[in-house]
Amino acid sequence: MSDFLKILENEVQIAALSFMAIVYILRLAWIFRFRTRRDRTFAAGRGSVGAGYSLLSIAMPRAMESTRKRPGFYAQFVVFHIGVAAAIAGTLIIPYAPGLFERRTVVLLFQGLISGRLCRGDRPARPAPERPGAPQRQLARRLLLPRPPRRLVRLGRAGRPQPAGKRGVAPHRLLRPDGFLPGLRAVLEDLPLPLLSLHPILPGPLARAQGAFPPEQAGRTGRAHGKERA
Amino acid sequence: MASVQAGRLRTYEPGDNTRRFLDLLGSRVSRPLAVSLTACVHCGLCAESCHYFLARPDDPTMTPVWKADQIRKIFKRHVDWAGRVAPWWVKAGSPRDDEELNRLKNIVFGTCSACRRCTYNCPMGVDTGLLVRFTRGLLTELGVVPEGVFNVSRDQWETGNQMAVSEQDYLETLEWMRDDVRTELGDDSVEIPVDKEGCDILYTINPREIKFDPRSIAQAAKIFHLAGESWTMPKWGWDQTNFGLFSGDDKLGAFVARNVYEAAERLRAKRIVISECGHGYRSTRWEGYTWAGFDQKRPTESVVVTLKRYIEAGRIAVDPSKNPDAVTFHDSCNIARSGDLVEEPREVLRRVCADFREMYPNRRENFCCTGGGGLLSMAEYRPLRLEVGKIKADQLRATGAKLVCTMCHNCIDGLNDVIKHYKLPMRVVQVLELVSNALVPPAKGA
Repeated sequence: MSDFLKILENEVQIAALSFMAIVYILRLAWIFRFRTRRDRTFAAGRGSVGAGYSLLSIAMPRAMESTRKRPGFYAQFVVFHIGVAAAIAGTLIIPYAPGLFERRTVVLLFQGLISGRLCRGDRPARPAPERPGAPQRQLARRLLLPRPPRRLVRLGRAGRPQPAGKRGVAPHRLLRPDGFLPGLRAVLEDLPLPLLSLHPILPGPLARAQGAFPPEQAGRTGRAHGKERA
Repeated sequence: MASVQAGRLRTYEPGDNTRRFLDLLGSRVSRPLAVSLTACVHCGLCAESCHYFLARPDDPTMTPVWKADQIRKIFKRHVDWAGRVAPWWVKAGSPRDDEELNRLKNIVFGTCSACRRCTYNCPMGVDTGLLVRFTRGLLTELGVVPEGVFNVSRDQWETGNQMAVSEQDYLETLEWMRDDVRTELGDDSVEIPVDKEGCDILYTINPREIKFDPRSIAQAAKIFHLAGESWTMPKWGWDQTNFGLFSGDDKLGAFVARNVYEAAERLRAKRIVISECGHGYRSTRWEGYTWAGFDQKRPTESVVVTLKRYIEAGRIAVDPSKNPDAVTFHDSCNIARSGDLVEEPREVLRRVCADFREMYPNRRENFCCTGGGGLLSMAEYRPLRLEVGKIKADQLRATGAKLVCTMCHNCIDGLNDVIKHYKLPMRVVQVLELVSNALVPPAKGA
């Protein structure tokens, strides 16, 4: 591995992830500065059950008509995010647990996951409601949405299982193409994703937990209202 | 206009309205609003949940995300630190003049019924209905509102009810309905008590019942009488509807809701029962206590829940063969999605109708009647409302039912408009009417 690529894949990645964590914490602190009103109505069930249901609803595609009607879109969403998680995990595995990538099955698994995230389709609404979107989102889309198949081929070629005689090759080569520019692009792919999408993604669970859906609506269907129906 | 003079309702005055708008925005953002304003990932899944977009699929300005973005970009520019530092990066922006505020008014009042169907279909939990109501509230503070919204708000501030029904009209209508029920049942002991203390139920209604269709009061009175209920209606605080929900004016919301709660306190009623009204149910049962800063002390329920209890307890006898026509049920947005009352009306309808059939989609996924969000009072948006009513019309037509039942007065008018415009062979009824039809009066002397 060239020293420059090693820095990109290791120190720069760690610094970027740390930066991301700091931004996340600041963002959370900022959101919690806004006031919220105490609910004075009788509860219609256990709030924790409703909040839990809401938070987990992202994993329940059948719960929403929008994802029920578009199982393909939901599948892309899942593959994409697992791929992102795999890419970030890969940046940590390469410097700290390179032995993991000595196993061919692990390499194949990561290749599949990381390649899978590039297969993300476009938005269901046409014309897309955000067009023309903010530069923030335009860049995120350019970096993340489907690219020419050439890229997949290149990534696949670079990450193909290595012949037995080359077992000693640095693990990062199994996952990344050689060279500075492809390496930079790979880093750019991994890092800006959470940064560019940081603002919207972070409050999602909060929206669920804090009453965008009243908790009582989520986990209960027609059961007694407890105190209310006593 | 007393409410204007008292500063409770604002009229539009040219001036530095954009500055005032931004000041209000900064001071009123709550945590749930902040997360909804920041959580959108622009996936577009909300688009196909909106009947406006479904009716105009080539118009991106009909998508919930676009509508919410109109307030979101202002929030980003003036509240969110990312937008304050680099507005161009997140496409933040400000309203430049009153004309842009007027444009915003047309979006949040005219192209959204705040039905929250998109909220239920958002994987991030963004509550676009909440954002729309919030924006409406800011504009209401500046007097930048449709004339109909202003007029109804004024009436509710000044008379305590949204249709400016006088106390004399109210009491005379109750007496008239009492006499009708006495004649129908041949029983002179029937009463519609007013301001009677210590009753089990305080019954509150929609002013539309007094002004346009008092039969529902008679139907409720008949059922309460046959069930042997201890009930009363208040002389003041009888309007359970609340235009504050539609205009986004929490002060009006608090005033109206408090009238009802204080009537129940004054009369020492054990329970508040709300007649069939969607936004009235949501306001009085769910939102009003918080708006009014009034801790809930007694159960507050829809009359449909009361009816279900009567039927289950055998307090009234019903015969479904008295309602032989095919009936389908329209879930009001404020009752099903925002009020969590879904199965109760179905349980009642299955007991009182011979042929009950669902429409699809239903329950929390039902489409708006097109009249939600106060749109019935905004004549200027009627053409668009009827155009997007095609979605509802298709849904109704597919049921093949002769009657569409709903437990909301807004929905009655919204559905009637759709039925008339799309020439559907249907009629709108309410649960009270069907239960009243199905009643089996006790034998004489029983």
